[in-house]
Amino acid sequence: MIHFYHVTKRFDRYSTALHDLTFQIDKGEFVFLTGPSGAGKSTLLKLILRQITPSEGQVVVNGRNLNTIRRSALPFFRREIGMVFQDFKLIERMTVFENLSFILTVLNVSPREHKRKAYAALRAVDLHNRMNSYPLQLSGGEQQRVAIARALINDPLVLIADEPTGNLDPDMSQDIIRIFSDANLRGSTVLLATHDRDLIRESGRRVITLEHGRISDEKISVAERPAARGDNVFGMATS
Amino acid sequence: MAREFNTPGRNEPNVPSNTITYFLKEALRRTWNSKRTSFVAVAMIAISLFVLGSFLLLSENLQRAVERWQGHSRVTVYLNPEVTPDEQRAVDAFLAAHSDLASRRFVTRQEALQRFKSYFTNLAEVAGNLEENPFPPSYEIEVRPGVAQSAAFESQIEALRKLPSIDQVEFDWEWTRRLRRIIEMLNIIGIAAGGVLAMAAAFTIANVIRLTMMLYHEEIEIMRLVGATERMIRGPFLIEGLLQGTIGGIVAVAVLAGGFFAAQRTLAPSSSLLWGFLFGCFLPWQKIVLLILGGTIAGWFGSWLSVHERREEA
Repeated sequence: MIHFYHVTKRFDRYSTALHDLTFQIDKGEFVFLTGPSGAGKSTLLKLILRQITPSEGQVVVNGRNLNTIRRSALPFFRREIGMVFQDFKLIERMTVFENLSFILTVLNVSPREHKRKAYAALRAVDLHNRMNSYPLQLSGGEQQRVAIARALINDPLVLIADEPTGNLDPDMSQDIIRIFSDANLRGSTVLLATHDRDLIRESGRRVITLEHGRISDEKISVAERPAARGDNVFGMATS
Repeated sequence: MAREFNTPGRNEPNVPSNTITYFLKEALRRTWNSKRTSFVAVAMIAISLFVLGSFLLLSENLQRAVERWQGHSRVTVYLNPEVTPDEQRAVDAFLAAHSDLASRRFVTRQEALQRFKSYFTNLAEVAGNLEENPFPPSYEIEVRPGVAQSAAFESQIEALRKLPSIDQVEFDWEWTRRLRRIIEMLNIIGIAAGGVLAMAAAFTIANVIRLTMMLYHEEIEIMRLVGATERMIRGPFLIEGLLQGTIGGIVAVAVLAGGFFAAQRTLAPSSSLLWGFLFGCFLPWQKIVLLILGGTIAGWFGSWLSVHERREEA
């Protein structure tokens, strides 16, 4: 589902965010991406969403080579990806419902369906009673959950999240992980970037650790191995 | 490996069916949210179309007046005061022989004097005290509309001028011809001035849209990231410019109509001889539609300029 072939990302001559990264995430996998600040996690996620392009190497997502994807095809590609941004990226002038409804408009879902789908997505993150609130009326954690609901609303093929539990208490973090797991069970491939080592430890999922733009470690966490996990085609941890 | 990539645009609609409502709602909301800048854009369009409309209105009324006067075109043939009956018969025979000049009426010297006295009553006494009647005999010829412009008619007039007893031949359409030239000039000036102002207005709208786009920069970025097409992102901005232009056009027509009918009511009756003909009628509906459409196009062009230049920013 997600393939990185010798990907390097340089922002300028002195700043290289990712060095010769090669890995693969199979369809239906749930993978944690971890590492210290500045390790290159956000850059990697931006490459998957094609917010930026690699300086070297190839990124292929859902069979589409993002180096050569046409500009006109990009929106349709992005509709297959559900992204939870670190800064939420909610539209402040829109209510919670409108933030979700807007995505459904983009996806050409009938307006009659908007309320039902938005309600279902918000119910999943326990925010169905805040549909008419504006993002600024919500706490950081609540905004985070709205962003998750927005990413999930269309059952995306790939679900990417950048620190989705960063603003949440431990209980809510577990709930959120459950939501991502449910999405994974419904068929979404999940890539979740987080600092939270407790979450990773208890998950039993594959973990890719980045350090200074390189994969320093790739393993399955100590809990039981999930059924959805795919094999690493390269069969190695690239450093 | 990457599979052969289908072009989603061919299979999926670029603009979803419920998007038109979204475009309109967004455009109206953004126009309302930036009332002041939108007002400037609408005012600029309205002023430029008002100028263009004024010229069109002036030329429309002049044109109608000219057409009305040309419907009653007349040639006056002044004979030599000392003309003999034989010479007068020769002129009469010449006129009778040419069908375009045949509708004639002979005005004697005495009748001409009487007319003068009746038209200018203050000078009637002076005219009566003259030793000799100064007015020559003449023929007044009614010319059918359209005939006067023909080359054949002009050659007939030239032949008439060469008769020995003719002093002068006067056309009253020569000055209408000059008036026509003035109308053409007015049209050109109006279109040029209106065009320049409309371009300025379009650039004002472009700047307004540019400002709005900067204001909504973050929102545009989010829209791109969640998969909105460029058409969907740009649509509301294009509609916004289009709306501003159309509103400007409607305002221009409304102000023009208001001014025209107010002037028609107050000025025209008291000065019907001087400029009454300028208040004959308002613009025909085709030109009204054209003016409003001009605003719409200018607005759309302005917004198109902005969204086109910012298209590459993603």
